[in-house]
Amino acid sequence: MSKYLTRRRRLLLPLFALALAAIAFAGVSSATAGGKSCGTVTLNEQAWAGSTANTYVAKYVLEHNLGCKVNVTQITEVPVYQAMADGKTDAVLEDWGHVTQQKQYVAKQKTVVAEGVNGVIGVIGWYIPDYLMKQYPQFKTWRGLKGKETIFKSPESGSQGMFLGGDPSYQQKDRTLIKALGLNLKFVSVGAEAAQVARWTQLYKQHKPVLFYWYDPQYLNAQYKLDQVKLPPRFPGCQDDESKGGNPKKYACAYPTYILQKFFSKKFATSGSPAVKFLKKWKWSNTDQNVVAGMIAGQHMDPDKAAEKWVKANQAKVKAWLR
Amino acid sequence: MAVAAERVGRVAYQPVRAWWRNRYLLSGLVIAGMVIAYQVWPNGYPWPSALTWNSLPGYLDNFQTWLSDQQGSADPSVIFTILNGISTGLGDFVSAIASLCHDLTWVGTFAAGVLVALRFGGVRASLWVAGAFASFAAMGLWDEAVQTFALVAASVILSLAVGMPLGIVAGRSDRFLRAITPVLDAMQIIPAFAYLMPVVILLSVGPGAAVVTTMIYSVPVAIRITALGIRGVPGNTVEAAQALGSTRRQILVKVQIPLARKLLLLAVNQTILFALSMVVIAALINTDPGLGGLVTNGLNTNPALAILAGFAIVIMAISIDRSTEAMAERTDPARAHVTEAKRRRLWLETGATAVAIGLTVGIAYSLGAGAVFVNAGNAPAWMQEKIQDALNYVEDPSTWLFSVTSWIGNHLVEYGLQPLLNFFTGTPSPVMLGGLTLIAFLLSGWRPAVTTFAMLGVIGVIGEWSNGMNTASQVVVALVLTMLLAFPLGIWVAESKRASAAIRPVLDVLQTLPQLVYLIPFIYLFPVSIVPGIVAAVLYAAPVVIRLVSAGIRDVPANTVEAAESFGATRAQLLLKVKIPLAQDAIMLGVNQGIIMVLAVVVIGGLVGSGGLGYEVAYGLQQGKFGPGVVASIAILALGIALDRVTRGNRQARLEGSR
Repeated sequence: MSKYLTRRRRLLLPLFALALAAIAFAGVSSATAGGKSCGTVTLNEQAWAGSTANTYVAKYVLEHNLGCKVNVTQITEVPVYQAMADGKTDAVLEDWGHVTQQKQYVAKQKTVVAEGVNGVIGVIGWYIPDYLMKQYPQFKTWRGLKGKETIFKSPESGSQGMFLGGDPSYQQKDRTLIKALGLNLKFVSVGAEAAQVARWTQLYKQHKPVLFYWYDPQYLNAQYKLDQVKLPPRFPGCQDDESKGGNPKKYACAYPTYILQKFFSKKFATSGSPAVKFLKKWKWSNTDQNVVAGMIAGQHMDPDKAAEKWVKANQAKVKAWLR
Repeated sequence: MAVAAERVGRVAYQPVRAWWRNRYLLSGLVIAGMVIAYQVWPNGYPWPSALTWNSLPGYLDNFQTWLSDQQGSADPSVIFTILNGISTGLGDFVSAIASLCHDLTWVGTFAAGVLVALRFGGVRASLWVAGAFASFAAMGLWDEAVQTFALVAASVILSLAVGMPLGIVAGRSDRFLRAITPVLDAMQIIPAFAYLMPVVILLSVGPGAAVVTTMIYSVPVAIRITALGIRGVPGNTVEAAQALGSTRRQILVKVQIPLARKLLLLAVNQTILFALSMVVIAALINTDPGLGGLVTNGLNTNPALAILAGFAIVIMAISIDRSTEAMAERTDPARAHVTEAKRRRLWLETGATAVAIGLTVGIAYSLGAGAVFVNAGNAPAWMQEKIQDALNYVEDPSTWLFSVTSWIGNHLVEYGLQPLLNFFTGTPSPVMLGGLTLIAFLLSGWRPAVTTFAMLGVIGVIGEWSNGMNTASQVVVALVLTMLLAFPLGIWVAESKRASAAIRPVLDVLQTLPQLVYLIPFIYLFPVSIVPGIVAAVLYAAPVVIRLVSAGIRDVPANTVEAAESFGATRAQLLLKVKIPLAQDAIMLGVNQGIIMVLAVVVIGGLVGSGGLGYEVAYGLQQGKFGPGVVASIAILALGIALDRVTRGNRQARLEGSR
């Protein structure tokens, strides 16, 4: 037993030494920069390039014009509502419509506050490459797909044509839509956006036919020439949440246009920080976002540097946000 | 899954049966019958909606809403205060480790790591640590690495603190082991995606929630392997100790734990690797996401950076593993002949280490070294560029490589996976249910057959029949491939030191490199949705099976082997008739863990296009549909139990036959 103890003590000693050294020097380290009344702002960056662009441009202005310290969290879309409710994250600058969460946290608990639009308009739809549209002009609308579905055949779609589904986290109703429109297509999910992009860009490079769920603003839309296949127009009472089930015919309409919104933590919104005023005003366009997202995701530029470049080139817009 | 619940009758004795009663032949006939039924009624008789209970997701959603209401109400219950305290405490633990590293400055952290490793692990260990630090610095990921290290260190310490005592209890009590096994299965199989949201409601986001999520996954492995180790201590040794009048406590401390040392170290090693494999998912709810965050977010914005971060995770895993292993070896009781003089020298060394660390930190401060290393210069950009070049090559569909892999992928799907998937989902559901139950009966006996029937019934009743069968077809393929790969390799590794040394780093990389990272190239190379998921499952499950199989074979008592040798057994005989039968417990644990690991990747598969249950779970978290996600997870768990019963029965039947 005694041998055991000494061995343990031998292990403990350097730990003590470490701890002592740490305590001795801990005091010296932290001297916070900036100051003013802004303090720390925590923004949430989500897993698409547009969100990164929003976050880092706002971050740059907050740090350089308002002297805030900015933390960036990367919490995924749904749990981030709870994070805002708890005050762990201050703001989400682009939300693509999470109805259930908004009901729960914004309307009922009032722990999260909707703070208006971010200026970006989200479009979701069915896309094909431009070369395909030139070859088959009838694909301008969904009706033209009828009878031609098999050109989209793939190993996993069997005798049907493949419809390449979007990232599971995005709003979609394509399975029901295909059924409602009576198309001979098989909904094939390839999972996360990176996987979906891999699939269609590869087919694009080979100039093969592909029909897929896609959206705008998206930086890849500048690199690849894509066209939308028109879906039936929206009608009153047409549905978008396919998990509700019911008659597929009720879903037979195009996706709505998404006016993307900003959400703040209640705590942050009522904190009186100058950052709140700025972030409320902060707003830009699809083109602006695509420029920055393209630098980040297309050219793999450091997000901070991409934001800096855009801000320096767009001083007028920045001034308007700060007014 | 009650590993080693019965230790009696280990004789590998097959009762003589008439050829037409061969259970494999009969199972084959059952399958043939199912195929005929599929041909006759393709896609007929899906699971009847009258037998489906559709309101479960709704109830689950209501439960989550209720939980969220409670948490967000003006005066939340005291439970939330306690949970909040736990979460804050865990978070503080993680932050304390991270801020210790920051306070030491990067120079001090480097020196402390290397010197402590040198003192307790020797030169090799310190070189591993130094190499790891140098690569984080060169990759420009110092701070992310510190964050991840803090999270993993905290999770591993807590997992071992919880898991080892429970494992010891489970090693000594059959009843306890049997009671917790299903819980452990559930913890490992139910995908983290399914319970991330309730965890966040209860514990909020941040390092505390990340630690809990990681622990749910890494505690079971600590418990399992510890129990296996304690159980593996030869019964006659324990009896001898009892005969000498040892108390239960003495038997544990002086006999069982020291003799189980090797497997206990494996438990530590595997806990570290499991904790690191959760880094990416934990980043989804962490406020200091570290390397895991770079992986998840980088996938869309900068895949090269995501891959680099993935390799940083691997480097961290290997260096922690190697240096802790060296430390453990140094403290091996077999090597501890500590004389007075040697003890004094060790004290001096310890003192010198502490002084050296203190001095380095002091010098670092006087030179104004930062908390983290930032001046990596062009190195990170250069590395990312190289990775991007490789990716560009892989992404280019005009290379010869692509023409080979896409051909393989397409044919694999067209003639293998897709027909199998169609068979599983298209066979009339009563035929499928009956057939699988019958096979379970033939291979394993009536009890597992009842469980299989019940589990498949659950999948149907909760409305996941079609998704469940879709996933089952892929899981079966992945499992067969895993076993075909892992068994021979495991045996080879056990038999050859050189093979073991060569293959170990490969296993470490496969086990710790986040699947999302190595899936990127596979997505491009095999542009068919099901293949990458299966590849991921095999690559993830095989290392664990290889390790368990080889550990089991190596742990066969040397005197037994010698006895067999002295009777003139050839190497093949030794392997087939002595080692493999005696290693059966470990091998069965290998099969069990193989099933669990394959199922653990089902969700990752969902993210890269495997569809089925994995897609439902991923979709559930990301679209905020809690209910459907949990229901799909239950189906994954049921599938896992059913598969386990079918495969385990073989052994049980043999035991029964030998009685």
